[in-house]
Amino acid sequence: MKRSTERFGGDSCAGEAGTLWRHQNPPVRFWIISMMLVLIGLSSLKLR
Amino acid sequence: MLLWLFQQIGQDIRAFNVFNYLTLRAVLATLTALTISFIVGPAVIRKLTALKIGQSVRDDGPQTHLVKAGTPTMGGALILVSVTVTTLLWGDLSNQYVWVALLTLVGFGVIGWVDDWRKVVEKNSRGLPSRWKYFWQSVIGLAVAVYLWNNASLPAHTELIIPFLKHATLSLSALVFIALTYFVIVGSSNAVNLTDGLDGLAILPTVMVASALAIFAYVAGNAVFSKYLGVPFVPGAGELAIFCAAMAGAGLAFLWFNAYPAEVFMGDVGALALGAALGVVAVIVRQEIVLFIMCGVFVVETLSVMVQVASFKLTGKRVFRMAPIHHHYELKGWKENQVVVRFWIISMMLVLIGLSSLKLR
Repeated sequence: MKRSTERFGGDSCAGEAGTLWRHQNPPVRFWIISMMLVLIGLSSLKLR
Repeated sequence: MLLWLFQQIGQDIRAFNVFNYLTLRAVLATLTALTISFIVGPAVIRKLTALKIGQSVRDDGPQTHLVKAGTPTMGGALILVSVTVTTLLWGDLSNQYVWVALLTLVGFGVIGWVDDWRKVVEKNSRGLPSRWKYFWQSVIGLAVAVYLWNNASLPAHTELIIPFLKHATLSLSALVFIALTYFVIVGSSNAVNLTDGLDGLAILPTVMVASALAIFAYVAGNAVFSKYLGVPFVPGAGELAIFCAAMAGAGLAFLWFNAYPAEVFMGDVGALALGAALGVVAVIVRQEIVLFIMCGVFVVETLSVMVQVASFKLTGKRVFRMAPIHHHYELKGWKENQVVVRFWIISMMLVLIGLSSLKLR
């Protein structure tokens, strides 16, 4: 039987369906993750 | 502490000298504050919930807010711990400005803590009486102002910089400098507190302003950049970039839990402290007017309350459906999320305008 790895396609939907993240939390939390990744990207300017 | 440790190790292993760079320490401070808040956050929320430290909701406010009753508050303590620990780890502890900023943060945090504790735990609806709250805010604000005046080593450290104008400065007398510093610190503290009425509304603009102030602090503390950009050189102010970066990291992590629907509110302990911290950094790096621009959302929220109260007392009529102004828009039919994200967008624009003052003059 074919099983999907996420409850829904797309991590954002998986987050909503899970018990950890309540509805409406995913957008802002994904933005926060994006900001962290941008910060890590920017740090590559100095860290080498 | 880590800076000192790495400087000692750096005498033998040169690679460790990389930690002398402010930019690297600022990035590491952000990540450290984020990590501390992410790790400690869930435990703090569980503890606050277990202690039944829940927010009471004004019954004359928007009806949609009634579901927020009981949400744990005083989560700002998490931000304060995270910022303090991170600054102690990555900051230069021999720098006077680091201690001024930290003590201001903690001092206003203590005032907020007492107020929250009395309201939420002791069920005293008045909390810390307003006159006592303003008295202690004034004591700390004036103490900081007097300290900064007495320790100013150059005239530029006490001049008011007019943004967007080349070489436009106003020399301030002791009295005016102390009064201005007092109003910037106490005013920004209360402005952030008034804005903290919707999920995530206060914290992201605080993060954005803190990030911008980190850039201003870095420039002000660098002799070459400050001369090139025409801003006053304040030796040692660069270390405030670490403090601001820690605020940005801790604030961003707090938003994770404070985003709609909030699992925790920051309470006065967070709002008063963060506002005062923004104010004191702006005073040290001589960017009071730029702070006023970047904190436009906080300023408008405060003005809306003042206008509403004045109008009601003088004419018996209300200008807004409800003050602060975020409730006005909610009652006009905007969803809470729309108000919050739109205010964030306005904040971003204002912070960009503030940052542009570095070059545009």
